[in-house]
Amino acid sequence: VHLPFCRKRCHYCDFPIVALGSSASSPGGPGEGEDPRIADYVRLLLREVAATRPVSDDGVPLETIFFGGGTPSLVPPRLVAAVLDALRGRFGLSACPEVSIEMDPGTFDAAKLRELVGVGVNRVSLGVQAFQEELLRACGRAHGLREVHEAVGIVTACEGLQNWSMDLISSLPNQTQQMWEESLRCTVDARPTHVSVYDLQIEQGTKFGQIYTPGVFPLPNETDSANFYKIASKRLSEAGYQHYEISSYCKPGYECKHNVTYWQNRPFYAFGLGSASYINGVRFSRPRGMRNYADWVQKLEDGTWCHESSISETKDMAMDSVMLSLRTARGLDLHSFSKSFGEALTRSLCETFRPFVESGLVIAMDKEREALQFNEFESDLESEGEMSGSRMAFLRLSDPDGFLLSNELISLAFGTISP
Amino acid sequence: GQDRLQKVPITNIRNFCIIAHIDHGKSTLADKLLEMTGTVQKRDMKQQFLDNMDLERERGITIKLQAARMRYIMNNEPYCLNLIDTPGHVDFSYEVSRSLAACEGALLVVDASQGVEAQTLANVYLALESNLEIIPVLNKIDLPGAEPDRIAQEIEEIIGLDCSNAIRCSAKEGIGIIEILDAIVTKVPPPKDTLKNPLRALIFDSYYDAYRGVIVYFRVIDGSIRKGDKICFMANKKEYVADEIGVLSPNQMEADELHAGEVGYLSASIRSVADARVGDTITHFAKRAESALPGYSEATPMVFCGLFPLEADQFEELREALGRLQLNDAALKFEPESSSAMGFGFRCGFLGLLHMEIVQERLEREYNLNLIITAPSVVYRVNCSNNETVECSNPSLLPEPGKRRSIEEPYVKIELLTPKDYIGPIMELGQERRGEFKEMNYITENRAKLTYMLPLAEMVGDFFDQLKSRSKGYASMEYSVVGYRVSDLVKLDIQINGEPVEALSTIVHKEKAYTVGRALTQKLKELIPRQMFKIPIQACIGAKVIASEALSAIRKDVLSKCYGGDISRKKKLLKKQAEGKKRMKAIGRVEVPQEAFMAVLKLEKEVL
Repeated sequence: VHLPFCRKRCHYCDFPIVALGSSASSPGGPGEGEDPRIADYVRLLLREVAATRPVSDDGVPLETIFFGGGTPSLVPPRLVAAVLDALRGRFGLSACPEVSIEMDPGTFDAAKLRELVGVGVNRVSLGVQAFQEELLRACGRAHGLREVHEAVGIVTACEGLQNWSMDLISSLPNQTQQMWEESLRCTVDARPTHVSVYDLQIEQGTKFGQIYTPGVFPLPNETDSANFYKIASKRLSEAGYQHYEISSYCKPGYECKHNVTYWQNRPFYAFGLGSASYINGVRFSRPRGMRNYADWVQKLEDGTWCHESSISETKDMAMDSVMLSLRTARGLDLHSFSKSFGEALTRSLCETFRPFVESGLVIAMDKEREALQFNEFESDLESEGEMSGSRMAFLRLSDPDGFLLSNELISLAFGTISP
Repeated sequence: GQDRLQKVPITNIRNFCIIAHIDHGKSTLADKLLEMTGTVQKRDMKQQFLDNMDLERERGITIKLQAARMRYIMNNEPYCLNLIDTPGHVDFSYEVSRSLAACEGALLVVDASQGVEAQTLANVYLALESNLEIIPVLNKIDLPGAEPDRIAQEIEEIIGLDCSNAIRCSAKEGIGIIEILDAIVTKVPPPKDTLKNPLRALIFDSYYDAYRGVIVYFRVIDGSIRKGDKICFMANKKEYVADEIGVLSPNQMEADELHAGEVGYLSASIRSVADARVGDTITHFAKRAESALPGYSEATPMVFCGLFPLEADQFEELREALGRLQLNDAALKFEPESSSAMGFGFRCGFLGLLHMEIVQERLEREYNLNLIITAPSVVYRVNCSNNETVECSNPSLLPEPGKRRSIEEPYVKIELLTPKDYIGPIMELGQERRGEFKEMNYITENRAKLTYMLPLAEMVGDFFDQLKSRSKGYASMEYSVVGYRVSDLVKLDIQINGEPVEALSTIVHKEKAYTVGRALTQKLKELIPRQMFKIPIQACIGAKVIASEALSAIRKDVLSKCYGGDISRKKKLLKKQAEGKKRMKAIGRVEVPQEAFMAVLKLEKEVL
């Protein structure tokens, strides 16, 4: 569920957001200074929910809900509650759903968080990004370091909230290795159950996109940037976090179930401006402009909008499967891939990765997730028998080197799937 | 126009050609002769009637020659004048010599403001060797810079030709044309009357017509030929029936019979121009001439290169296109070749650089093919340890060092004419290209002739371009192959990640190997995208690495976020990345973009 409101746009952000200005709701005083655009938008959201037909009538309930932004913590909790109620009413909620919300330092107080937890939120993703005042400023964040520490304090002190995640960005302009080590130390000290580490992407049309070139000062060069990634992997692993996806770490059992849904290529609904759903095998992105989105909701209600039923080709399904699974530590399940897309393609994929299994960027594993030696991998590959009979059961990218080259490796696989 | 078919006594026939440097006005003059004799009506006049290939018109040069029969009345006496056009480039000197052999005289046309150029000189010498009567013509006298007196003197000094009666003309303005026609009649000797002898006709050109097969252009030297005659090509040993014969005026006009001294065409269901090779002798099947006309020789390609289609699926189209060009170009040779870097293509042999360029251009322009062209190579002679001598034009097929005693390379004698101001830069060029300086003569006060012995391999690159740029366009050159010499040559191989790339192998002089190797490896490093592992790029002679670069591995290529909305976008990006990889060729594990090969091949042409 996209809640697009922010105080201001961060310099790296190219999301569809609505900047409210600095007067936007202060941490305290619920309702005070509330921007009418928020309530208007939530009404639109509720209309979309009401107009969306559940996929099946047998009532498989929602397992996870993610309020993303924007800065969802700018939205008054009663409005969040209204959306939750609507979703529950329309699709049902499972017995213990994961309900996450993104919150930015400086946009909430203990009371507001308590209220959110009160209406059913049980996971917080805190957008810290950096533990250095100058970096926060350079990013155009609407908060400073003091607010970061306050927010961490509020979240960790909140009763009834065990599960929370911290967001960090690496490769920021002028970021040094010392700064990055410091941010990771502070992160570990705050003891979140989950950490997301993003490597800064310079997007066209953003302020960063106008003034910076990737790899060129003040951005770190490729080697330094790769190093930041490796340091994060090392420090967080040492602190007991599992590196379960390219940019995600968690304490055992605290994977973000919502995101895991994406990477397992399972279906999901989406609501709100610019959000993307994957229902009945079709990926659909809603309009990114508020007016277009409102018109679209109107059409949805009128029943005059119909989904272009572009059934994905098998090739595309195979690509999705490879692209998403290779982002995770679990990797690609060769047996189920083989079942869906055939023995031959599975073999050619393994063949494509052969030199990289040898060089260690790709790891082949058996059912018990024991890594195979290269010669074992090769003999499996060369054996005449069926794939299902071989020891090899998974392929994954190694951490950190394989993950760091994931685009290269995945696009190689794409070349094999669609020659 | 039927009067042009009328027979005149053999004493009234004149066969002549025009010798001129590019741009000295040969085609314009030819046009004017046709116009003035009423052979072509003014309204039908296309500019430069004789050059009928686009390429020729664009470059202002003649590649395929043509002929034209004109009727000219002088002192109430009808004359039959046959103009036989000659190609103006040294690549085709054999063809030039054969068309000269079909004539008794030649107009030497020199631009009155430019003077004699190297190429003209070479062709004049050929004409003198064939005992042609040469009529000097000073053209473009209407131009403000014209100095006919000085140029006349230059011709006398350089060629030793009496220029006291040189005709001053302006083909463009129509000045002096009648004088030229009169001079042809009065000065050029008539053909010998050998009508009684068995037929011998000299083929001086042929072309392929899609409907009629090969059309052969010939000059009857002895005897006569009739429509329907059973004829025989003496060198080729093939027999045909002359279904159609006629004259060129300049369009084909059918005739029943052609006599000794006359020039004409025939068609006889001949399938390829290779079967009607220039220089061959046509005789009667039943009444054979005792011996063929002298001067015949097979086409020997001097320059080779690999031609590969940019798109692999154009291979068959390329084969077909080459086949079609060959129907019309007996000197073009080709055979299939495959290379790991370039895929499937052809190794092609050409008479020289211009010939190569023409073929390449026609393939691209007329057949819409996109080609990758490897650096041109010459034919080396390798003296092997087992005392055999093998010819080798493809560096990748050069016998291994252990199996060869020495390599010989073709040498050319090159004559350069230049204003004296550029002698210095031109001598530098000669030096750089391993030239052996022979002599320098001042042909006039301000112009010099430099003679070098130069390896042909040094000339097949950008020598001519360099000559032009270093002399601001004023120098001209002429060369002839003089034979083979042993040289200290090595095969330079390029290895990418330890894999040799055959298409990039070259044969270079040992002293140049280091520079060339450095240039090539540096260029490749620039152009090959970094990959997931470190890639050494090396230039080697045998096992010895003489230049080396290393392409560092990519350390990071990752998009960190991939949630619901990112999936489609990310997939698009990765698909694009995968497409990029597809356009590359795999050299071992390394993906090398086509552009990298092309750039290196281009560089090879420059640095070799």
